Amino acid sequence: MTNIRRHERKLLLIAGVIMLNGILAVSVSQGVVNYSNIGIVCGLIAGFLLVNLVLHKARYNGDPIFLPLAASLIGIGLTTILRLKPELFALQAVWICIGLVVFLLSVFFSRKLEQVANFKYVCGFIGVSLLLLAILFGVDIGGHKSWVIIGPIRFQPSEFAKVFIVLFLAAYLSERRELLTLATRHYGPFVLPHPRFIAPLIAVWGIAMMMFILQRDMGAALLYFGIAIIMTYMVSGRFSYVIIGFVLFLIGSVICYKFYNHIQTRVDIWLNPWADPSGNAYQIVQSLFAFGSGGIMGSGLTYGSPGMIPEVHTDFIFAAIGEEMGFIGAGAVIIIYIIMVYRAFRVAMRSVMPFSMLVAGGLAVSMALQIFLIIGGVTKFFPLTGITLPFISYGGSSIIANFILLGMLFSISEVRSYDGE
Amino acid sequence: MMGNDTRDVITNIRKVAGCLLSLLAILFVYLSYIQVIESGFLAAHPLNRRNSEMASSIEHGMILDKNGKKLAYSKKNGNTFTREYPYGASVAHVVGYDSLKYGKAGIESTYSNYLTGMNSQLHHLGAISHLLSHQDGNNVMLTLDAALQEMAYRGLGDHRGAIVVMNPHTGAILAMVSKPSFNPNTLDQQWESISTAANSPLLNRSVEGLYPPGSILKVMMADEALTEKTMDLKQTIDCEGSLKIPPDYVLPEMGLHAYGKINMEEALTVSSNVFFGTLALNLGNKGMAKAFDRYGFLRPVGQDLQEAKSHLPDFNSLGNGDLAQTGIGQGSLLVTPLRMAMLASTFANKGIIMKPYIVDRITDADGDVVEKFKSEEWLTVTSPQLADAINKMMVSVVNNGTGKAAALSEFTVAGKTGTAENSQGDSHAWFIGFAPADNPQVVVAVIVENAGGGGSVAAPIARKILAQALH
Repeated sequence: MTNIRRHERKLLLIAGVIMLNGILAVSVSQGVVNYSNIGIVCGLIAGFLLVNLVLHKARYNGDPIFLPLAASLIGIGLTTILRLKPELFALQAVWICIGLVVFLLSVFFSRKLEQVANFKYVCGFIGVSLLLLAILFGVDIGGHKSWVIIGPIRFQPSEFAKVFIVLFLAAYLSERRELLTLATRHYGPFVLPHPRFIAPLIAVWGIAMMMFILQRDMGAALLYFGIAIIMTYMVSGRFSYVIIGFVLFLIGSVICYKFYNHIQTRVDIWLNPWADPSGNAYQIVQSLFAFGSGGIMGSGLTYGSPGMIPEVHTDFIFAAIGEEMGFIGAGAVIIIYIIMVYRAFRVAMRSVMPFSMLVAGGLAVSMALQIFLIIGGVTKFFPLTGITLPFISYGGSSIIANFILLGMLFSISEVRSYDGE
Repeated sequence: MMGNDTRDVITNIRKVAGCLLSLLAILFVYLSYIQVIESGFLAAHPLNRRNSEMASSIEHGMILDKNGKKLAYSKKNGNTFTREYPYGASVAHVVGYDSLKYGKAGIESTYSNYLTGMNSQLHHLGAISHLLSHQDGNNVMLTLDAALQEMAYRGLGDHRGAIVVMNPHTGAILAMVSKPSFNPNTLDQQWESISTAANSPLLNRSVEGLYPPGSILKVMMADEALTEKTMDLKQTIDCEGSLKIPPDYVLPEMGLHAYGKINMEEALTVSSNVFFGTLALNLGNKGMAKAFDRYGFLRPVGQDLQEAKSHLPDFNSLGNGDLAQTGIGQGSLLVTPLRMAMLASTFANKGIIMKPYIVDRITDADGDVVEKFKSEEWLTVTSPQLADAINKMMVSVVNNGTGKAAALSEFTVAGKTGTAENSQGDSHAWFIGFAPADNPQVVVAVIVENAGGGGSVAAPIARKILAQALH
């Protein structure tokens, strides 16, 4: 067994202890030890170890940190879900199993990532379609119009859209790299990018604004727009593009704020939740109470009252962690994310091919922005948005999409070290 | 493949990584701000239902009187507990209430951490605290005597008013009554009418009610004049029916009675306005300000009692007429009944005012003492000699003067009556006093709002209270 996979296995065992410990703590404090739950968790740990074994047998050589980090987050997430909505526990475990398989598939297919670049417009089309699907046919489940129901299947397309959008942008931008850095047009004192370069940006901006208005989701809008702008900056190195992009976004936002009441309400809630703590700002105020009551050490699992926050098991799961595990637990979650994002950027910087470099960079950006927006949202650092917390929130779409993302990062990291040997 | 531009891209990605990782680090710091610094504010916020929900799910400790009689206890009601108050309205202001809807007051509020057994330090231990804390709350034992309290409550009859009974040597409050009161057992149902009633039943008049003291303040004036030596015990003042103060102010005697040449003891016995108005003028603005300062009128008595701050006239700009008025406890001067009990205690405890307190001890569910409150000296106001001199004058008030209705056959009672004029209607009837005069055990202050003369209305109530407290 290669060293790298042996390290990964050890780290996975530690993550497994976190997972098992959490489930046992909830069981013990509730006074009933549910053996099937413990069985499920042991099965999941075995599943992670099996993935480790497959990677070893297939002589994969990727970053050994990603999988254990995901397993730790999943452990904390599953524990919290068992405590909040025990009836969803087994289902979430199923999603995670599927996620592990998807991870392996993603790792396998991402070996041929360079070929995806040839189908960049297909990727772009799928990405935009998925977003439009949610915007136009979105069904409101749990306060978000981000669900699409096709027959028996219901999913959140926006979770998957980010992967395709990143692939498209990476391919489009890496092809036009030289054009973008050199060809600019001067309009007086302003340096503006070439129209061919700015076209996809404007398209993403348009979609973002649509999401903003129709889905009432400033966070998702900012997420996609942010990915596009930052990836453009990665290629061009021109900070002015970032400025221009955000000025555009700001103008759009101000216009929306002026003309749409619900956006006004949302911003007002963020600016001063205490003006209407029992009405519009109920959710965010309850979330703040949860964090405050948790304090440094937390109330202890099952001893808090996170159930007072509506939608606590999806969007507000971080508040439940903050209440019952305290700053120690919630801070640990942020640190795990920081390590994950750091490793993702490291993968990007160590990659050889410009395309995979941009894919990894784009995925890292999407991960970082998503974490920032949702954690910032529930702590009132930023206006509240309806995006999930990767690997922790309940939901199949979120779990599977994030395993795809993780598989791609793993694969890109693998190529580099493979070449290096 | 690794062209210059690829290296540029790597540099750009590094910058982006730096920015985004810093953003997440800022989030970490912000979270620590919410969960560490803002934590207290958010956890204790009145809209945070966690506190009340948790509090109703665990059994609170009892509030007991000095003899162990239950003033408040928790009764199991399905999964939650409700509070029962066996003594109802008579101790409602002291014990307070604990309502899920309308919050807490009184001891229920100030000692809620003890009653719920949730020591705030333990709370910070998180999950570990569940191992250390036992579910039962602590019991809070008060200095109150429930029987005396009920008697005092009945004593006020249908009048508005307040009564404070203290032990002068310890400062322990034996009874603290305020009327009108409310029934804490049915607070939730009657909240609308209780909270909006014009006669303010929620107001604890004994510590929050501000009244002109009237003639009971004269004991302080006597002590001040003797301390400042502007007057001695033998000196007399010729008291005609009124005191003319230039340019045009006239301070009349009650019923324009002319007492002739009288000394201090005689003046206190008949409660002469002319005599004590003259004392105030002799002391001057500075001397009077000093007197109130010496008696600690602006000094708070401690958080447990939540006393309203006395209102003193602005001595710098006080005219002579108002100065003389202040000398007989009128004018803009406003004090609480508790302060007046403390004033009386000065002369029952050799010039020393003890710090008033109402919680005697806190015991855990097994009866072991968690905390015990010690009595402490609050202020040394005057010398034992002068305190004794005033004591004797106060005995004369009860034996020969306006306070005859407070006299007991078995004990010598010392006291002073007051009939305080006010803007709300009839005079407030005051009586402060203590007994036995040679070895005081109980101090009492009684005020009956708009009920007439102190000697005829307040003194008989005080007499009954002193009799019961000493029997």
